[in-house]
Amino acid sequence: MIKSIVRILLAMAVLHSGLAVAQQYNQVVQGSQSLANKVCVTCHGANGKGNPVVGAPRLAEIEPWYLRKQLQAFRGEFRGTQKDYIPGFEMQDSVARMSDEEIEAVVAYIGTWHSNENPPSIAGNATRGSELYLACAACHGVNGEGNEALAAPGLARKDDWYLYRQLKLFQSGYRGSHPEDLSGRTMRTGIANIENDQDINDVLTYINGL
Amino acid sequence: MTKRVTRRELLTMLAATGTSATVLNASAALGMIPDTRLGIPEIPRADPINRPSIVILGAGISGLTAAYELDKAGYDCVVLEAAPKAGGRCLTVRHGDLIDEVGNPQICDFDDEPHMYFNAGPARIPSSHRNLMHYCKALGVELEIFINENKECYYQDDAMFKGKPIKNRVFTTNARGFMAEIMAKNFNNDELERPFDRYEAEALISAMRAFGDLDADELYKGSFRAGYAKGGFIDHGEQTEVVALHELLKSRFMNSALTANEGETGPVLFQPVGGMDKIVQGFARELRNKIYYDVVVTSVQLQDNGVAIEYQHNGIKYLVEADYCFNCIPTHLMTGIDNNFPADYQEAMHHVRRGEAYKSAFQTKTRFWEKDDIYGGITWTNQPIRQIWYPPHGLFKEKGVILAAYDFGGGMHFTRLSQEERLETAIRQGEKVHSDYRQQVEKGITIAWHRMNHMLGCAARWSSSFGGMSAREERLYHTLQAPAGGRHYTIGDQVSLHTAWQESAILSAHWAIGDMVKRMGGTSSMPGRRV
Repeated sequence: MIKSIVRILLAMAVLHSGLAVAQQYNQVVQGSQSLANKVCVTCHGANGKGNPVVGAPRLAEIEPWYLRKQLQAFRGEFRGTQKDYIPGFEMQDSVARMSDEEIEAVVAYIGTWHSNENPPSIAGNATRGSELYLACAACHGVNGEGNEALAAPGLARKDDWYLYRQLKLFQSGYRGSHPEDLSGRTMRTGIANIENDQDINDVLTYINGL
Repeated sequence: MTKRVTRRELLTMLAATGTSATVLNASAALGMIPDTRLGIPEIPRADPINRPSIVILGAGISGLTAAYELDKAGYDCVVLEAAPKAGGRCLTVRHGDLIDEVGNPQICDFDDEPHMYFNAGPARIPSSHRNLMHYCKALGVELEIFINENKECYYQDDAMFKGKPIKNRVFTTNARGFMAEIMAKNFNNDELERPFDRYEAEALISAMRAFGDLDADELYKGSFRAGYAKGGFIDHGEQTEVVALHELLKSRFMNSALTANEGETGPVLFQPVGGMDKIVQGFARELRNKIYYDVVVTSVQLQDNGVAIEYQHNGIKYLVEADYCFNCIPTHLMTGIDNNFPADYQEAMHHVRRGEAYKSAFQTKTRFWEKDDIYGGITWTNQPIRQIWYPPHGLFKEKGVILAAYDFGGGMHFTRLSQEERLETAIRQGEKVHSDYRQQVEKGITIAWHRMNHMLGCAARWSSSFGGMSAREERLYHTLQAPAGGRHYTIGDQVSLHTAWQESAILSAHWAIGDMVKRMGGTSSMPGRRV
């Protein structure tokens, strides 16, 4: 069945040679499933529950504005251009061909996903973490609730393994180095007080309790 | 300048590492082939009035095997598959097929002819894989010989002969000649004769002479086995030139060229006529309407007496409850699906790492390799493409499909590249073997298994070190093999100690069925229940 669809599409492609493979692909896969279910869930898990084994964060209950911004950041090559960080460049490739309409459709669809929080995986010193968190609270809120106006996502109820990776990426400059990535650059300067793995584990242990 | 080692010193070095005599014993152990006796368990016929229900997740080879066997025994089976077609990694790509790589979808534009296909996953069936052979026979899958080693193919290594390729026959004949000469010359020494009597010593020297094609003085002076430079039929043959041992020793292929047909590739190898997925089609034909496609599994929950599975299809949510679940979803994707598996089972799923194998293929304008006496077989190179495979089928046709790269190791070299870069790199590297390669290839495809939708990986990797499995890994392996809650079986080559082979996937399904039958214990083959 799928083969016959592809054949028809290929026949169309001969007539309209401008029809890109990506477009043909989207027409084929969207025949039965939404783009999000067809493409996102393989990595990000059923209902966007996240999958640390393949390095894909939980998407369920993520703020729509933040999700949109990150999809645009990957598409615009603010994120995921370093080929030695595999989850990032896989994501970059996956969204590189998405249109604005597709991004909106995906954001809307993911907005319908719910999944349970995953159990914490990091154990540090929460008291020490609370002191380190003071610098974070300015943008991300005292309860880790986030602040769209400052482009700061919520941190509470996010997977700690994912936050750990992102802190490492900001520290190394894999995130927040693009000249036009203003909020990313702010984040890089904002985490100057988080210097080592102990600091990261402590602050994440505190965030886990928010 | 490097210090020269004399033959005497070399022999001493070998003895110091416990070699000279043990080499002979060790060679017997080289071709270790796992035992694959026919493993199909006896399944008691299911009660037709109250049939046990089985949900099979994934239509890969193991899922299809489980469904086929249990369905035949009268169990109530359904197979839920995420992709629009069955087979999993048993994938054959032909004209018009979608290669569903996340972020890099391709539609294959090879010519629409029966021989123009590419086995992107498994491509060889060793005759010793009796269970797979059994299913080929049972499903009416026609087989033909696959050629793995061909002396007319090449070895190309940037480190030797300034990167110029040499024929397999030239490499292996010379390597054997030099090695035999070293062995035979030194064997005449009293010291070395001691463990053997005179007749044994003569027999051994004679064998070495034959092994390396040595002359009466036990000297290697080249051999016609490396091919004829010219003549040989009507005119006197002229030997190809002897190549320098020092040149061969620059290449790591010295370690593998003489053992090319050992182990798994030792038995006769086969391929299904028309593509490896003929096996999948055979299973699917038998299972008719029991396979459901485009299914997104969202939850797998163990219950007191069964398993509950939630899934979505066409945006609608469904719940199916069954007595047992056989699950061949890769463990690294199962970790992204809600479940209530026990903690040690979860630990095992999180431990297994996903394989990164990569393959690519070209349609070629002509079968240029046939002009070079190559009909099937593999060329080896030290470049990232590693291998070029020439099709053993479609002989003398105008065009063919060759394997242009097969990175079966841990590297992500090609996976990181864009589609254009992947193909250009394959052409550039192929040119080192065949100078007109660029002019010959016309359409290319790539399969980066690490990125394939619904799979995100090739063969599972259990061991985190080359030394084999640690005690913890051994424990996790057996945890994942045993049924979670007595009802949920993880199957596939991922639950085998010999991953990447279809035989392993089949044997894993057989193991799970056998275990389930044992657990069902009192299952009667008569309708109804005892009163």
